[in-house]
Amino acid sequence: MTSINGSDVRKLIIACDAGMGSSVMVAAQLAKSLKKYSVRVEHSPVNTIPADADVVLCQQGLVARARRSAPDKVVLGFQMFIGDPLFGQVEAAIRDGAELNG
Amino acid sequence: MSTAEAAAPGLWTRARAGLQRFGGYLAAMVLPNIGAFIAWGLITALFIPTGWIPNAHLAALVDPMIDYLLPLLIGYTGGKLVHDHRGGVIGAIATVGVVVGSDVPMFLGAMIVGPLAAYLLKLWDEHVGVKVSPGFKMLVDNFSCGILGGIMAVLGVLGIGPAVQWLSGIAGSAVQTLLNAHLLPLASLVIEPAKVLFLNNAINHGILEPLGVQQAAEHGGRAIEFLMETNPGPGLGVLAACMLFGPRAMRGSVPGAMIIEFLGGIHEIYFPFILARPKLVLAAMAGGASGVFTFVVTGAGTTATPSPGSIFAVLALTPKNGFVGVIAGVVIAAVVSFVVGSALFGFGRLEREKNQQVAPVVAAGVTGSVVEA
Repeated sequence: MTSINGSDVRKLIIACDAGMGSSVMVAAQLAKSLKKYSVRVEHSPVNTIPADADVVLCQQGLVARARRSAPDKVVLGFQMFIGDPLFGQVEAAIRDGAELNG
Repeated sequence: MSTAEAAAPGLWTRARAGLQRFGGYLAAMVLPNIGAFIAWGLITALFIPTGWIPNAHLAALVDPMIDYLLPLLIGYTGGKLVHDHRGGVIGAIATVGVVVGSDVPMFLGAMIVGPLAAYLLKLWDEHVGVKVSPGFKMLVDNFSCGILGGIMAVLGVLGIGPAVQWLSGIAGSAVQTLLNAHLLPLASLVIEPAKVLFLNNAINHGILEPLGVQQAAEHGGRAIEFLMETNPGPGLGVLAACMLFGPRAMRGSVPGAMIIEFLGGIHEIYFPFILARPKLVLAAMAGGASGVFTFVVTGAGTTATPSPGSIFAVLALTPKNGFVGVIAGVVIAAVVSFVVGSALFGFGRLEREKNQQVAPVVAAGVTGSVVEA
């Protein structure tokens, strides 16, 4: 279990199996809402999460793989690809400088 | 939500993650090259003798693409995953070996020898290559890749290619036997639950696509295997059932999800709906099996894997005289999964009763523990 302060998040990775479909969609949504906090939002396959990621978001069913692929990162799982409460929680943590644990 | 899981990942979670990782690698060799598959599928649909505008001169593109271009891309990508560009190069060299060593499209062979050759080169580089003095590094690097690659290519022609051809012949005839016995719809009983566990790419690109390519090469440029996972019908039906009869907290995001799933082809978007109400997997299975049954009866197939599994991609890769069967299979799958899904929700009655008893749980239906098995 690692943690990071929301204000230290510079790069957020959205991961999915192929890194080409659902992660691209979620990344586009979050890039829009996180633009004003100077956080880069990118997408990647869950097996090859970039080393400079600060926080990784992926569907709950892929969390175990994401942790294995990026053991030192904060990995957070969401359920729904649209309108999951986690997206709002992450934005709030970045805005308010709150801790993100995962 | 993930505290318990992180502390002691259960056997099931670990097994599932392992399976997903393995499948993820298979899919990762194929998915970046889908553009080439689509080019091949479109050229096949247009120019083969039964295509839209038959043209023998241009149809000459079909065989080299399927025999060389696609396996080489897979072998290169598989090698690159293991050992970067050098791995990709030796993966491609080794792939030529299995291609020449067999008479069927060597997708499976490329998935094996590409990463294997790259792994051997990686071992060499890590244990021997690092000891070479800088002035000789380029010489040694180029020749180690060339010599090892040459050996792998020769082994491919003599041993690995024929062995893989024998193996994929067995797998192909197993599918053919199921097809002949009209038992192929049973495959959906495995495919649909596996999809929802995020094994969708592994099943489609790792298993069904190589089988389909072989089938298409032997049976007039179309294969039912390409449709079995990519049919957007079952997901659409499940989502429609959620929209009309699902828990109220679910319904809001469904219309957007339906568009993304059916038109955009991102099937992942409906998996969480099934994971949140696991009984819905029965609806997907029933829809998938009905779709496959329809495809079998009508002899439907596409010319390549529609990826992503959008209705647009499916129709674009449907051969000229094959629209009735393909469209019927999609529609029937959607209707069946919708009806079964709606029945599982008791046509709204069950969820309403549940709502009254445990309203807060449903409202918070998106949080962890409900889903993570």
